[in-house]
Amino acid sequence: MNDLTNRLGLDSRAWLRWAVPAVLIIVLYFVPQIGGSGTFRLGEYEEILSFLIIAVALNIAMGYAGQYILGITAVFAAGAYGAILAAKYHPHGVGLLAMCIIGGVVGAVAGMIIGLPGLRVGGFYLALVSLFAALAIPTVAQQWGLVGADTGIPLYAVAGWVQEISGVELYAIVVSLVLLAVLFSWALVHSRVGHRFVALHTSRQLASSIGIRAYRTQLLAILISSAMAGIAGGIYVYSQEFFAPGSSSVQFAVLLLAGMTIGGMGTIAGPLIGSVIILGINQFFTGFQQYNGIIFGILLLVFAVFLPDGLMARITVLNERLGITPRTPSLTSGPAPASAESVPPATAATAKPAAQLPDWTPVLGASDSSPLVVDGARRSFGGVTAVDDIHLTITRGQVHGLIGSNGSGKTTLLNLISRFYSLDAGKIMVGSARLDTQPPHAVARAGIARTFQSPKLMLRATALENVIPAVELRVRCTGAESVLRLPRGIRVNRQARTEAQEILEALGLQHVIHQQAAALPHGTRRLVEMARAIALRPSFILLDEPAAGLSPVELETVTEVCQNLARSGVGVLLIEHNVPMVLSIADTVTCLHQGKRLFQGTPAELRADTTVASVFLGIDEPLEASS
Amino acid sequence: MTLFLTALIAGLAVGSVYGLIALSYTVVFNSTSIFNIAQGDLMMAGVLVSYFCLDRWHLPQILTLLVILGAVVALSLLEERVAVRPFVRKPVTGLGWFIATLAFSLVLETVASIIYGQNPVVPIPGALGSGTITIAGVHVATKFILAFVTMIVVMVALEVFYKRTWLGTAMRGVAEDREVAALRGIDALRISRLAFVIAGVVTALAAFVVAPIVSADVSVGLTYGLKGFIALAAGGFGSLRGCVIGGLILGVAEQMFDLYVSSNYEILAGLIVVLIVLAVRPTGLFGTRAVREV
Repeated sequence: MNDLTNRLGLDSRAWLRWAVPAVLIIVLYFVPQIGGSGTFRLGEYEEILSFLIIAVALNIAMGYAGQYILGITAVFAAGAYGAILAAKYHPHGVGLLAMCIIGGVVGAVAGMIIGLPGLRVGGFYLALVSLFAALAIPTVAQQWGLVGADTGIPLYAVAGWVQEISGVELYAIVVSLVLLAVLFSWALVHSRVGHRFVALHTSRQLASSIGIRAYRTQLLAILISSAMAGIAGGIYVYSQEFFAPGSSSVQFAVLLLAGMTIGGMGTIAGPLIGSVIILGINQFFTGFQQYNGIIFGILLLVFAVFLPDGLMARITVLNERLGITPRTPSLTSGPAPASAESVPPATAATAKPAAQLPDWTPVLGASDSSPLVVDGARRSFGGVTAVDDIHLTITRGQVHGLIGSNGSGKTTLLNLISRFYSLDAGKIMVGSARLDTQPPHAVARAGIARTFQSPKLMLRATALENVIPAVELRVRCTGAESVLRLPRGIRVNRQARTEAQEILEALGLQHVIHQQAAALPHGTRRLVEMARAIALRPSFILLDEPAAGLSPVELETVTEVCQNLARSGVGVLLIEHNVPMVLSIADTVTCLHQGKRLFQGTPAELRADTTVASVFLGIDEPLEASS
Repeated sequence: MTLFLTALIAGLAVGSVYGLIALSYTVVFNSTSIFNIAQGDLMMAGVLVSYFCLDRWHLPQILTLLVILGAVVALSLLEERVAVRPFVRKPVTGLGWFIATLAFSLVLETVASIIYGQNPVVPIPGALGSGTITIAGVHVATKFILAFVTMIVVMVALEVFYKRTWLGTAMRGVAEDREVAALRGIDALRISRLAFVIAGVVTALAAFVVAPIVSADVSVGLTYGLKGFIALAAGGFGSLRGCVIGGLILGVAEQMFDLYVSSNYEILAGLIVVLIVLAVRPTGLFGTRAVREV
């Protein structure tokens, strides 16, 4: 009994967390009894409800995956026209279910046509191309006899058409469909598919560094979103029994965007709250409708500038203050910090890693232990040759240190290996497989993990949630299994969570597992990033200045982690300015200077070398003697 | 043949307006990395000012031009202050600026439709009268010639400005790397304001020459704004010549679509152009710079 009280949160205010939505849902079902159940009123409710599904759809693409398919109203219109035409020509055979399916399929196709070209360039191109489509579809429909031109298609006037479900019953079904859409979006967001969306939204480079196929993921986001918007079109025409060019305009797309922004994109409830506010004002305050644009525009502007995370961010803060939710922000809630600079002071002391050494034997990558070979790599930017004829071999089970002053080409070399840049000349191979012809995600999938000089983390997600997507590259199941929580999906979701947790603990991060990345100090972020790279269980790991800005304790952790990686058979490339650290753990050291290789050998040879000492210290004796 | 030539010339004229809008997008984008979606509605505001000056108050053309310039530049500066500057200070992450400029655009359009109300679409007299001149046996309206010449002059002026003057170089530098520019004593905020003034001037000129072609109509803002983007996408981001070529391609494509397919579905021509360009050459004809990752 006590356990149940705890779980429901009855001993604190936490029960409000589930009680408020539950009450809202019940109230939603009884709106006709409260607000009037005339046919006209019901129609208005159902109209808003189908718009809410579009908002949920748009939120998946835009809020989570960062794909600005603003003109989703074009997709909605395509789905609606598809469904209503089918009903018009087969009035006896097409019911609500068929209209949803037809709407979904037509919507998905329309979304692909609109989305594919815009995606090739990215950014706001998709937003503008889709907005243009949102303008074009009604304009074309106005002239097109097949879809009823300007007057549209009045389904209620079609002989033989009967709205089989109607009145309050239909209202209840539409409400259920909206709830289903919300539930689906929740399940999607908290699945491996949703994790990939958020990673991609954060940074394309971050996504491909953990093997996520960026283009395919973008397409999937647009596909899911478009299919949902198309289904909304089907529901809309079934309940309204009418569709005309005026039913979907560019202004409508802007209203949707306003609702999303005001409520808070990238949260489950935000877009619903915002859309209800905006669409409610638009629908029921018809007296000053011509001024609505000004009100919405100013609201949108104020939110975009001052509250980019919308009302939901405020609600989250309020919930925490009132003790309704614990202060452990999750994947989607809470305000994201403005920039990486605003790092709060260290709150979480990093404890020493567990005594027994974890096993990080490579899982991804070649089965034999071929080394990673950089053969004559060259790359210029404009007139500067940043990397000039570099030869380098990273052997499995060894640490290869890469040192050199700022601008000597270390990070460029790393970016060449992980294929963020392409080579001008030379080869990069593992065994007989060439890496330099592969896309970045394939390099990661071939077992080559990396970290970034300035850590790239999903700032709104917790440390754990940052590591999970990397584990999910290895522990396979289909996206559908993960979203729909099928048996294998549940098992794999759980496995990914456990493994991610183990790796974080091995790096001494057990205190911060459930903390938002945005709240972590810089050094800890580096360690989380390292945990993410290790989570791939790669054959090779490329670390870009992992020790910069770390505390002495953290530095010790990094040193031990590098050694343990090598012991487990991983090839480590360690870019560092902390030369004593490199010399203490590296098996081989390469020193770059102005893009060229100045030195390569063992740490002992480096200490005895006079060239390195003269270039960096301006002295003619070896490092050993000078120190 | 005459029909074809007439359509071609009309296409070049309308295309010139798309080109002008694309040029003003580019001026802003080159110094702020922001794509100002409100540019089309700023032009619409200019067209309405033109209607009030010429049709209601019967002001002379030259005075009208000055009033348009003043009004559009003032609105541009207002937009820069409320919708753009908050984002210029921070590194451009996400598309907050996009939403902000769209919001400004929405306000502008609503205010315009309240002021202009339900007035019917009224033709606006052109600066060079309603005469025609004959080129290769085709009568060409002077308003068409004015649009084309204006675009070419604006493009050449901008090219000279960017290549030959210190300020022009500074404006490009800010877009390349704001920090390095700041180290050289270039104030990014000032440059952003200046970019909006120049873009405002270009947009005002576009409004002045397009007014006799499109007539007074609130809905032209969004349409021309989006078509200006298509011109930009076709020509290539960041390239002034690309804007001009892209605008002309779109204008001509539309007229040819009208002539050989159907004038009812003219808007599809734009969609086809942008889909083909993005499928074949995503960076556009003259584009070199990749659009930044967002």
